[in-house]
Amino acid sequence: MTTTPTSDSARPVSGARAARLLAAKIPHAVLRRDEAYGEETVYVAREHIVEACTLLRDDPDGLYRLAVMVTAVDWPDREPDEPRFDIVYQLRSLQYNDWCRLVVQVTEDDAHVPTMEKVFAGMDWHERECFDLMGIIFDGHHGLKRILMPEDWEGHPLRKDYVSFGEPVAFTHNIEWALPAQERPPGMPGSAR
Amino acid sequence: MAAILPPSGPPPGLPPHEEDDPFAPARALLNVPTELDTVELVEIGQDTMELNMGPQHPSTHGVLRLVLELDGEVVRECRPDIGFLHTGFEKSFESHTYQQCIPLTDRMDYLAPPINNFGFSLAVEKLLGIDVPLRGQYIRVIMAELARLGSHLVWFGTHALDLGATTPFLYAWREREHILDINELVSGVRMMTSFIRVGGLMADVPDEFGPMVEQVVNTFPRRIDEYELLITKNPIWVERTRGLGVLTVEDCLQYGATGPVLRGSGIPYDLRKAQPYSSYDHFDFDIPIGSRGDVYDRYLCRMQEMRESVKIIRQAYKNLPGGPVNTSDRKVALPPRNEINTSMESLIHHFKLVTEGFRTPKGQVYHAVESPRGELGFYIVSDGGNTPYRCKVRAPSFSNLSALPHMVRGELIADVVAVIGSIDIVLGDVDR
Amino acid sequence: MTIPENRTLLGPDGSAILRAQGDAGAIPIPRAGAAERTAVQTGVITTTISKVIQWGRYSSIWPALFGLACCAIEMMAVGNSRYDMSRFGAEVFRASPRQADLMIVSGRVAQKMAPVLRQIYDQMPEPKWVISMGACASCGGIFNNYAIVQGVDKIVPVDVYVPGCPPRPESLLDAVVKLQKKIGQEPASLRG
Repeated sequence: MTTTPTSDSARPVSGARAARLLAAKIPHAVLRRDEAYGEETVYVAREHIVEACTLLRDDPDGLYRLAVMVTAVDWPDREPDEPRFDIVYQLRSLQYNDWCRLVVQVTEDDAHVPTMEKVFAGMDWHERECFDLMGIIFDGHHGLKRILMPEDWEGHPLRKDYVSFGEPVAFTHNIEWALPAQERPPGMPGSAR
Repeated sequence: MAAILPPSGPPPGLPPHEEDDPFAPARALLNVPTELDTVELVEIGQDTMELNMGPQHPSTHGVLRLVLELDGEVVRECRPDIGFLHTGFEKSFESHTYQQCIPLTDRMDYLAPPINNFGFSLAVEKLLGIDVPLRGQYIRVIMAELARLGSHLVWFGTHALDLGATTPFLYAWREREHILDINELVSGVRMMTSFIRVGGLMADVPDEFGPMVEQVVNTFPRRIDEYELLITKNPIWVERTRGLGVLTVEDCLQYGATGPVLRGSGIPYDLRKAQPYSSYDHFDFDIPIGSRGDVYDRYLCRMQEMRESVKIIRQAYKNLPGGPVNTSDRKVALPPRNEINTSMESLIHHFKLVTEGFRTPKGQVYHAVESPRGELGFYIVSDGGNTPYRCKVRAPSFSNLSALPHMVRGELIADVVAVIGSIDIVLGDVDR
Repeated sequence: MTIPENRTLLGPDGSAILRAQGDAGAIPIPRAGAAERTAVQTGVITTTISKVIQWGRYSSIWPALFGLACCAIEMMAVGNSRYDMSRFGAEVFRASPRQADLMIVSGRVAQKMAPVLRQIYDQMPEPKWVISMGACASCGGIFNNYAIVQGVDKIVPVDVYVPGCPPRPESLLDAVVKLQKKIGQEPASLRG
């Protein structure tokens, strides 16, 4: 058997450096730390996220200067115990060859996060995409409007309660969907009878 | 808009005709002296013209819309408008099993589909904690590097075509056909191969794979030299691209630009070297970097990257080990067909994998690969089911394109086309 | 000349010109179209105006550059040296729809792109045709979701549908040939 461990397993835990730095310099911002699959995730309080990212970017022990992405994950079933949205930030440090993940949790009624635009210019578009697809409002963003969907689109497609529907595929058990309006049974949507 | 008047006086060689100078009234109005040889620009207003470029445009490399604010020919502001190819991949991923997601990933960055498959597979394998046998890893590397070659060839052909050179377009696609032939040999499909799957590959490569790869490896370096002969020292090309669209290192980091855009600015960061995956550390190759961060440096980076890709393919092919290509974990990879006839367990595994797919443990992972455009990352969140709960694709073209307004501010409108070509965007990647 | 037994000698256009006849050697086979050949030699052919206009229209179709996604790459491959589309007269891709008569919708049509597609179609002058290239343009393809228009025929009338994801270049060439046949059957007159 020629199975060889991949290079990944010999690597140190991603984000450990950032977690240590945050825990040392701004411990009040860190809510908890989580490690799994060789990656460390730091849960940061919403008010301190800009401070945390600025620290990671500028500190000589961090130098996480490459903005990788901002995204959000929707957990609608977690409320009311835990907030619904996980806003995930990822930064990369070229000097230390590491990347880190920070997570801010917000509830559905208060889906506001301070913007990271001033810290990393590239977060501008990522935040707009997050707003467009998930409905997270980034306070202080200079122009938070939709980027991928048309301007007048209603709803936020990536939320779990948004039903993504193209067209029903016609099989024999639902062949009525493939019929034109005149031939659909009365009472069916799109029926002319 | 500033008013521009032609130089006073008749063209040289013709006798002067003061009486019928058509610009006399205008000159009188603006008090421009007629005996001067130089042109004096008179500013009569501060308005800019808004010009719409795209989404249907020959040079935007897809459906990209740019709203340009022009002051004469100079771009004062550029506002990209994207989303004309938004396909809802991330939503589609949530309703497909992991194996069903692989053909979906093909269609995102459609110039190098195997690399999308690669990134997704590696992320899921990280979540599952399984390893792919060495032969599988080497063949993955060969397919990925062939895809990189194919993608750079398309970039080269279309970039040159945008700047007026039509010959490289035809040459590049002629070479690309050889790569598509190899794709077709191993998977049956020219472009969207879905060959690299979770747990390994679709199947082992047939015998003709070897000679075809060898042919590519032996003929490509000369071809790349041919293209360089046409373009690299061509004075028109150099004039049009040198010093244009400069992105400093700090800008690259701020905008999250990776790949040849970052390397063109001087940082030797390549994920294949920095955080090697799938045995890239077994191969010896260099990272080309530029110095100025302009369009010309990015062009040189990509040309050299093509040569390095050929080097990697040659090494991987020469040292290709034997053995299986898929992981032995039957809960993830399909069992061989002959086993299904004899082993009840294999039959059940096959059935479960095809109908239901495999389940991943709960958690979140991020894995990035080096696509021809930069860092292509897959952030997968799993809730323990057989479909990804959330799969976010970190697209390199999205971040690279966000640096475009910065790059073209102050450039001429004809140069916008050159800069877009140099970023090498794929709208399927930008819009997902 | 003698040719081997039971063999037929083919001319450059594929038609038989000599057939073996056992020991008698070879006999010449009269070529079809002798009357037409005489006409060409004298320089006069007779046809209808409709046929001439159709022939002109289908022999030089100018596609509009409308590459959207992956199918556009295969469309570019069709225009290149291996699968040469200029053999069929359709090589000249016009950037401006006002100078084009064929719109090859190659790729998936997103919700944001749909009004743009319609506008480009409206800007094309008559007569115009549409080839829906690929599964996404024909029926939405593998993307049965909120973002993709399920078939471009919801927006513009389509003449030829090409299945595939992406269709092989030969499929697109077949579509162009089918479109040429279709144009050859459309009534055409001097009035348009």
